[in-house]
Amino acid sequence: MRINPLTIKKFKRFKSIKRGYYSLLVFSFLILVSLFGELLVNSRALLVNYNGRLYFPTYGQMISGKVFGLDYDYETNYRDLAKRFKEDKSDNWVLLPMVPYNPFENDLKDDKYPPFPPSFSEKHYLGTDTIGRDIFARIIYGFRIAMGFSFILLLVNYSIGVTLGCLMGFWGGKFDLFFQRMIEIWANVPFLYVIIIIASIVTPNFITLIIIMAMFGWMGMTWQMRTTTYKEKAREYVLAAKTLGASNTRIIFKHIIPNTISIIVTYIPFSVSGGIVALTSLDYLGFGLPAPTPSWGELLQQGWANMNAYWIASSVILAMVITLTTVTFIGEAIREALDPKLHTTYE
Amino acid sequence: MKVKLFKIIGLGLLSFCLQAAPKLPKDIKWLSNDTDPVYASPDAKKGGTVHNFMTGYPITFRFVGPDSNGSFRSFILDNQFALIDVHPNTRNIIPVLATHWAFGSDKKTMYFKLNKLARWSDGKPVTADDFVFNLEFMRSKHIVAPWYNDYYTKEIDKVIAYDDHTLAVVSMKAKPDLHLTVSLAPLPRHFFGKLDKNFVKKYNWKIVPNTGPYQISTFKKGKHVTMKRKKDWWAKDLRYMKNRFNVDKYVLKVIRDSNIAWEHFKKNKIDFFNLTFPQYWHIKSKIPIFQKGYVNKIWFYNDMPQSASGMWLNQDRAIFKDKNVRYAFAHAMNVDKVIKKVLRGDYMRLQHGYMGYGEYTNSSIKARKFDIAKTKHYMQKAGFKRGADGIWKKGNMRFSVEVTYSAEPHTRRLVVLKEEAKKAGIELRLQKMDGPTMFKKFLEKKHDVAWMGWSTRIRPGFWEGFHSVNAHKPQTNNITNTDDKEMDKLIDAYRASLDAAERIKLAKTIQKKIHDVGCFVPTFMVPYVRRAYWRWIKLPEVPGTKWTESMFDRPFDVTTGGLFWYDPKLHKETKKMMKANKSLPPITIVNERYKMKI
Repeated sequence: MRINPLTIKKFKRFKSIKRGYYSLLVFSFLILVSLFGELLVNSRALLVNYNGRLYFPTYGQMISGKVFGLDYDYETNYRDLAKRFKEDKSDNWVLLPMVPYNPFENDLKDDKYPPFPPSFSEKHYLGTDTIGRDIFARIIYGFRIAMGFSFILLLVNYSIGVTLGCLMGFWGGKFDLFFQRMIEIWANVPFLYVIIIIASIVTPNFITLIIIMAMFGWMGMTWQMRTTTYKEKAREYVLAAKTLGASNTRIIFKHIIPNTISIIVTYIPFSVSGGIVALTSLDYLGFGLPAPTPSWGELLQQGWANMNAYWIASSVILAMVITLTTVTFIGEAIREALDPKLHTTYE
Repeated sequence: MKVKLFKIIGLGLLSFCLQAAPKLPKDIKWLSNDTDPVYASPDAKKGGTVHNFMTGYPITFRFVGPDSNGSFRSFILDNQFALIDVHPNTRNIIPVLATHWAFGSDKKTMYFKLNKLARWSDGKPVTADDFVFNLEFMRSKHIVAPWYNDYYTKEIDKVIAYDDHTLAVVSMKAKPDLHLTVSLAPLPRHFFGKLDKNFVKKYNWKIVPNTGPYQISTFKKGKHVTMKRKKDWWAKDLRYMKNRFNVDKYVLKVIRDSNIAWEHFKKNKIDFFNLTFPQYWHIKSKIPIFQKGYVNKIWFYNDMPQSASGMWLNQDRAIFKDKNVRYAFAHAMNVDKVIKKVLRGDYMRLQHGYMGYGEYTNSSIKARKFDIAKTKHYMQKAGFKRGADGIWKKGNMRFSVEVTYSAEPHTRRLVVLKEEAKKAGIELRLQKMDGPTMFKKFLEKKHDVAWMGWSTRIRPGFWEGFHSVNAHKPQTNNITNTDDKEMDKLIDAYRASLDAAERIKLAKTIQKKIHDVGCFVPTFMVPYVRRAYWRWIKLPEVPGTKWTESMFDRPFDVTTGGLFWYDPKLHKETKKMMKANKSLPPITIVNERYKMKI
């Protein structure tokens, strides 16, 4: 595949904007880490050597305690298993992940009550929340969910927005007029209230929440695409294509959309950060994903209610600042790299 | 001539009236009670002023009609004494406005002799006619209180005044525990006169004469209400009223936020504070005024009907049709761990749905404990096998159920239950809903597991919750869809019986039966009150009764209120110590005299 020299130029330009480029590296690293979260933050061991046989419990079904000679049927507690093997001084061993907790289990103690402050010896690097769940684990998995959420939301919003916006701009006339009015009306529905009302009737899950959010999120992109298409449609190359007998589909997909792609790409990072903030604030208000889904909003809520447990609020705020800043820096860099003014013949 | 005629007619009417005047049956046996133990302290002294707070100002001082059902109403109603009441520890009848009472042979009528000393706060004597007026009042359309209209029409048949100090109250139908129904409170006819359609407006801020120990003396709308002790109260020397209702003034200030009220308490602008929440009892009270002993803490266990709160299993769901599965579910709920490790051991395990009803409670029933082996036993009995993910499976049925709840603070408890249940092979899916929506879902029987508690009453009731006529249809309280012929028979017998001993026996059998059906997993109860109070407020050695809901916040309650008093000497001494910044030994009272045995 040959890459358009213009595109290569844009990439180079992006790379030259250091702030954005490094942000992209950091952000990609974070996503990579969260995608393989099970290997880093998990109550399941990475590797167990028991009586000469190797077990890889991380992925796949649970391994019951009986398999390792324990007296219970439910999932093995690998932390205890590791301790036991050590005490027995046998050849068996357990390799635990960096943080040996999953985001759901309650690590409760006999003499103290959570939240517990950060402790390196217990491997709660950021402490626990008010029910003894590891905060680092909840932040990593919460990040993954938030990212997945905002990417899927983005995909849905943009598919609707690009399609409808293109058609409105391309066809114009009554079709355009009708949807213009519809968007104007729809945009006036108070979106947060609607979500709160719906969330009080049904507990939203991942998919319903995306559907609800998309119902109110597609309009921005549609507006943008409509204007751009109008502009592009009036250009000579579209006229030329038409004269050569190209079909509408061909004109839209081969000519108009490729020429608007820079605008779409520019918007993506800002939509991603918008998605994260939206989910977090809904969770904070208690109208987001059902408990016990790991979520930043819920952690933020706990932090607010327990200010003396500084590690809750500070961890989640730090995580949010890092994520949102990197995403914003990436967005700025993309915008600059794709700025059409820099690609004129006068450069 | 005309005058004479009138006289004759008048005389005729009079004699007619006299003839129709009701007569007291001859064979009735008058009862009274001056032998039950008293529970006030003989050391109590009169005098002083105490301050408390309310979160909003009452919308009206009227005790019936629109907007009257606010939290302030209890301060008014508690001062409207009734004929008789029940002793808070023995549950025997004690005299209040009546000195003697008697039961009619029809099991519908009770006769009362009024205390001749009884006076309204305006000095007028209380007469039998004031009870007749109560019925007229409560049935009047002008008070705009449909519930009262209905209740006093359907439950109370009539009030018969034999003379100024003797009366009978007749219930519509024969009833067990008749005394709980027919003990009316009087209302002053001389004050209300004839009711008209202006009632609601006219009496919004009127202070109605009462018979209790206190009366509203001053108030400033939106700011405070002060209630003053009657110096010459007619009942002050009665056996069960003596040494009670001690402080001169009880001031209720409006403080709209409880965090701000806490600050007021710390500055001694109010004298008591509710410490029942663990956050307050364990953490927020670790401050100098407690550590230096100026403020005392008290943890008092009471013995009252407990809300049946826990998990209600919908037996119309395929998974819960099998009794073994229900038992297995109960054994998979680690309620004790939640109590110990999340609730700081502050709560207690509810053993079944009818605790605290005195002799009506079957205390031999014990809640099923967390036990993975038992869950396994019952699941295997039901033909289930553990799936690859550790959850029990049978055909395409997987033991994964939705638990619906509404209170956010309960999430902490549920996530622990969820993790523990997973060990036992049961998946709980938590579903949090808005309160009313949740309740609608339960009443429509669309839930798997309902996480909720019912309110209590004086005697246990079973028909609403467990009779088959209420099963499998929406808008009834049988949210477990219990449908059991034998249970129906027992409940019908319980409802029909007028004999206390028989009812007690039946109530216990039904409770056992409910336990055997296994459709309810009891969770927590909070059978105590915890308060903080400045040390110059004094309490009797046993600071409350079995039915004490608060030592300070219901100060006029006829049976449990007003046991505390104010000690001016201690007040002065403490102020001096505070000024000199000297410490006293901190005091935390834990009184387990009436603690329920589990």
